[in-house]
Amino acid sequence: MTTLEAPATPAFTPPRTRLDGLWAVLAPRAHLLRVLAGVLTIIGAYLPWATFVLNDGPYPEKSTLQFFVAPLGVTGFRLHLLVFGIAMVAVALLRLPAAGRIIRGLGWGTVAVALINGLYLVVQGGGLGTITVSDGKAAFGTIVALVGGLVAVAGGTAGGLGTKPELTWRPAWWIEWLILLVVFAVVLFLVAGVLTSGGQGGVVNPYAGVVFLSVLCALGGAFAALSPSGLLTWVGAVSERHRVFSVVVLLLVALLLPLTSAGTEYWMTVAANIGVYAATAIGLNIVVGLAGLLDLGYVAFLGIGAFVAANLSGAAASKIGIELPFPLVMIISAVVAGLFGAVVGSPTLRVRGDYLAIVTLAFGEIFVRSAQNNIGGLTGGANAIPNIPAVEAFGQSFAAPVTIGALKLPSGVLYYVLIVLLVAAVMLIFANLKNSRLGRAWIAIREDEDAARAMGIRTGPVKILAFMIGATLAGLAGAFFAHKTAVVAYDSFRFLESVTLLASVILGGMGTIPGAVLGAAILFVLPEKLREFSDYRLLIFGLALVVIMRFRPQGLIPDKHRRAELAPDAEDDT
Amino acid sequence: MTRRRTIVTAAILAGALGLTACGTNQTEASGSGGGSCDTSKGNLVIGMVAPLSGSLSALGLGMRNSAKLAVDQANQKCTVKGYKLALQAEDDQATAQVAGQAATKLSSDPNVVGVVGTLNSSTSQTVQPILAAKNIVQISPANTNPTLTLGANAATAPARPYKTYFRVATTDLIQGPFGAQYLVNKAGKKNIAVIDDGKTYGAGLADQAAAEITKLGGKVVAREKVGEKDTDFSGVISKIRALNPDAVYYGGEYPAAGPLSAQLAGGGLSVPLMGGDALQAKEYISLGGREGDLVTSVGAPATSLPSAAQFITDYKAANYSEDYNTYGVLTFDATNVIIAGLATTIGTATFDDSKRQGLIDAVQATKYSGASGDVAFDEFGDTTNKLLTVYAVKAGDFSVIESGTFKSS
Amino acid sequence: MLSTLLSQIANGLVLGSLIALIALGYTMVYGIVQLINFAHGEIFMVGAYGALATFTYLLPTAIQQRWYLALPLLLIGGALVSVLVAVAMERFAYRPLRGAPRLAPLITALGVSVALQEAVRVFYPNATAALPFPDVFIPGTLIVPIGDGVPIRYSGMLIFAVSLALAFTLNAFVERSRMGRAMRATAQDPDTARLMGIDPDRVIVLTFILGGALAGVGGVLYGNYLNNINIDMGFQNGIFAFTAAVLGGIGSIRGAIVGGLAIGLVKALGGQYLPGGTAYDYVWIFVVLIVVLVFRPQGFFGETERVRA
Repeated sequence: MTTLEAPATPAFTPPRTRLDGLWAVLAPRAHLLRVLAGVLTIIGAYLPWATFVLNDGPYPEKSTLQFFVAPLGVTGFRLHLLVFGIAMVAVALLRLPAAGRIIRGLGWGTVAVALINGLYLVVQGGGLGTITVSDGKAAFGTIVALVGGLVAVAGGTAGGLGTKPELTWRPAWWIEWLILLVVFAVVLFLVAGVLTSGGQGGVVNPYAGVVFLSVLCALGGAFAALSPSGLLTWVGAVSERHRVFSVVVLLLVALLLPLTSAGTEYWMTVAANIGVYAATAIGLNIVVGLAGLLDLGYVAFLGIGAFVAANLSGAAASKIGIELPFPLVMIISAVVAGLFGAVVGSPTLRVRGDYLAIVTLAFGEIFVRSAQNNIGGLTGGANAIPNIPAVEAFGQSFAAPVTIGALKLPSGVLYYVLIVLLVAAVMLIFANLKNSRLGRAWIAIREDEDAARAMGIRTGPVKILAFMIGATLAGLAGAFFAHKTAVVAYDSFRFLESVTLLASVILGGMGTIPGAVLGAAILFVLPEKLREFSDYRLLIFGLALVVIMRFRPQGLIPDKHRRAELAPDAEDDT
Repeated sequence: MTRRRTIVTAAILAGALGLTACGTNQTEASGSGGGSCDTSKGNLVIGMVAPLSGSLSALGLGMRNSAKLAVDQANQKCTVKGYKLALQAEDDQATAQVAGQAATKLSSDPNVVGVVGTLNSSTSQTVQPILAAKNIVQISPANTNPTLTLGANAATAPARPYKTYFRVATTDLIQGPFGAQYLVNKAGKKNIAVIDDGKTYGAGLADQAAAEITKLGGKVVAREKVGEKDTDFSGVISKIRALNPDAVYYGGEYPAAGPLSAQLAGGGLSVPLMGGDALQAKEYISLGGREGDLVTSVGAPATSLPSAAQFITDYKAANYSEDYNTYGVLTFDATNVIIAGLATTIGTATFDDSKRQGLIDAVQATKYSGASGDVAFDEFGDTTNKLLTVYAVKAGDFSVIESGTFKSS
Repeated sequence: MLSTLLSQIANGLVLGSLIALIALGYTMVYGIVQLINFAHGEIFMVGAYGALATFTYLLPTAIQQRWYLALPLLLIGGALVSVLVAVAMERFAYRPLRGAPRLAPLITALGVSVALQEAVRVFYPNATAALPFPDVFIPGTLIVPIGDGVPIRYSGMLIFAVSLALAFTLNAFVERSRMGRAMRATAQDPDTARLMGIDPDRVIVLTFILGGALAGVGGVLYGNYLNNINIDMGFQNGIFAFTAAVLGGIGSIRGAIVGGLAIGLVKALGGQYLPGGTAYDYVWIFVVLIVVLVFRPQGFFGETERVRA
């Protein structure tokens, strides 16, 4: 039988690197290399990066994370590099445990930052002269930083990676709470900072896209450096000990986002869209991540929910011209989508594995095609169903700006709050299901369907239930989607959307709750932040998927249970 | 090994990008800036929402370039006193929710004075309310769905949904019937097969044409849809061939219409194909459009208008890498209408939110002679230019058959 | 009417044989590495652009005008580009993921698909819109005198003939040759195959080469048949081909051929005779697929799923 996971076959792991010999040669000088790398990176940060001023204004100096001031005379990505360089020197001199790993992480971050900014300068400047010598001016920042990064990778690897220390510090509960609060506050500011990094792009701010990419690379490097220090694992363990507290604080943090720099109408709209897809992705996670049934037509359920809601919204173009209160509409949408989920799930009784995947793809295509042909007059066909009224509660339209006392919030905030609560509810459902008898049955089916059946699990109904519950959650999100977007058109629910949803589940880490949300956030924020690269953005998006899968094939936040069962030492393979 | 691969990949990437990178470097520092104009009050932005990536990008990029041309010309002529204009084109990938995000991004920028776009009617449906909430004027060069200006009951009880929305494109209610009238009354075709691509533009056009054909006493022998990404039309051709039509009316765009026309002949059905303005592109002919195929287009023929010829010359001189395509001329006009409205609204004052209503009123009152002919708007925001032209493909180009003002029959 | 029926059957066979040609690549790759290679449709598209580039930039006019010279050169050019892209894809995108969780390569494949499509759009001159493709085979239509006449284009016959010939050659290769045996062995059990002295890496590369070449040839023939190509052509036909491979029984070469032809016929005949007309022809393809899979869950020729270690 085929499960979604093929076990790691030792025969197929690539042979160990051909560079082993090089590492052996470098090993005795590794310590020196590490310090040298740090120094090079610092020098790179201070050298000029471009030989002339680009058409659109001075480039390297403009980049900055908004909440950083310039403590040492450099800003933006040069500040990041400076911090990386200092960290490399410090880690090397202090001989921390796992120093090799940390320095290697910092090195990769440096390489990425240097490459992104260097490439951008080369392309925008129209040639390699931009980052080397041109018109009698020299600018070797890119190259020195790049070399520094590579030396760090070499030095870090050569001197032995070291082992990740296990932190076992257990302070009093209130200290742990305090630490968690601080961590989550940092997360909040990081999220806001990343979202607004580079500023809102446009003609006055043409460097927004590349600054964002650079910040992302720097964050990746910082993460790669922090992870071997054991701190992240420790924080994870602490939050696990105070699960309820963490969840509440995280929810509060999410609700506080509108008060940060990201609290603009634009980001609230993007965040609401992310929320829709995150909720849908969690539903899909039940089907794919828990029950192990690959679904390639899942966006159809979002579409069904949206069309049901559109028809019950009182929009002039809808066939059923009745208007029901929004909570009721949500429930009806969810139920209808759930029923369709059961229909789509019914072939699972006979069809398995990739054959099932194509059946779900078929249902998805049938849905889009029927919606395009305005089946039964319910979908508006090519004209879609426009002008769906905004949700209203207590006389306040959700699409309008809100004023609470002195606090003025942009329009879209109420939708944001609503979707955060919705996603939280969906997460709660998912978490409870995962740990329930039903969830264990799904996981058992995922691992080995025949064995599960032998253990007395009625696999048929359980699998259909997975589809049904997943579809219900998508339908719920669909009702929100209809009102937020104000128009429901068949072309919002194409195969590519299903694929993006599936990608967010796998990218985030199958079977985990934060994974689906993180995946959806990345896949929908990335194209938005890459708007400045308009012509190249889908190209970059495609390549980014390939690169992320190359380095984190198990997803960004892998399921602990799964991590145990899959290639236990895949960790070193970077 | 990993490191080597990274370097190789980077080298390839750098090479690929280096090859395509040309144009922007330090030598043309002043670029297309205002030159000698006074731009002391800063920048004002004209936004655009159009598909700049994906399969419709040919049309979207043509729109972007045409709008850029209008903005650059205005900057050179110092049309708006004290300000430098800039174009900010946002990609909508031809989908509603992405268009919504693009529109929100533009609308939350206080410097955005107006928005040109969108291409697809379905994306305009999301963009309209977002811009209307901020009182930002929007002019579409390409939306043809009647409900955008006339409300849900366009045919029976028209009511304008958004005061901020205008369009220089004619609706399906005009272009479809106009084509049908020519086909039935002038060309004498009585048995017509109507095909569309299932998209908003194509389906709307084909529906209206089919209704008019029946009204005029012609017979719609077949009413078919093809897939929007289809390129093999043999199935639908075999099907209509058995019904012996004298002509085929196609609602859709040239990338499918050209091959469809060629395949009609290849499938043993040598009757003319007629379509709307989305077929009037040189590529239609190179992709297989045949001699005798008919196309309706909005406005007077380009050759009879010196302003249109001027646009084409200027566009060529600006050396854009993409063609201006189907909606270039109308986009150019739409952008100029906003610029002209801005110039009259601002005068010598400064722009702020209180000027937005004035700009909308100025656009509403537009009397502008553009590259597509005279531009003015009726009480719904639709263009009053109901002059359409029928072209036929002749000797590898479009030749004018007749121009006329649409009258409903 | 008889002539309509026959025309539709002819249309279905032409489209179906083309889909079968692409489906072979899907099915072979799946058989060996259990990967749904979603980017395979783009290999088909890239082949067509490769051939167009060959025609436009490499061939002198004298050769362009002689189809018996131009056609083989285009086929070689298109197939070569497809093979290169397919091999590079395997080397840089898929090989590092061997042994990774099974869905990871699926996402990689989707990423490659998007990236390839966009790369062609951005880097090939004027590829934002459909491009005309030269008619390098005998132009025109044969009208078979039955009833009102059954028009069949010569280039359509070419697709049918070449596709089936290639499919049967491939079948013979896999059944008879030494490398073919190695492929089947690797498909059955890579570990044992390795013990028997087969290098799985070579087998996998060979699979991608064969699949890429077939897709490239398909792309050229398709461009020649329709006289235009666009960047979407791979995606659409790729989905059909994937469906065909599953319908026939994924992993089975015979299955891919039968599945492809079945899909072509369902699309042509469904658009003609079933309710909803051509607007619903895709729907019928997928309805047939679902019905077949419910009654025969492993497709026409698929093996009942065996236990994989």
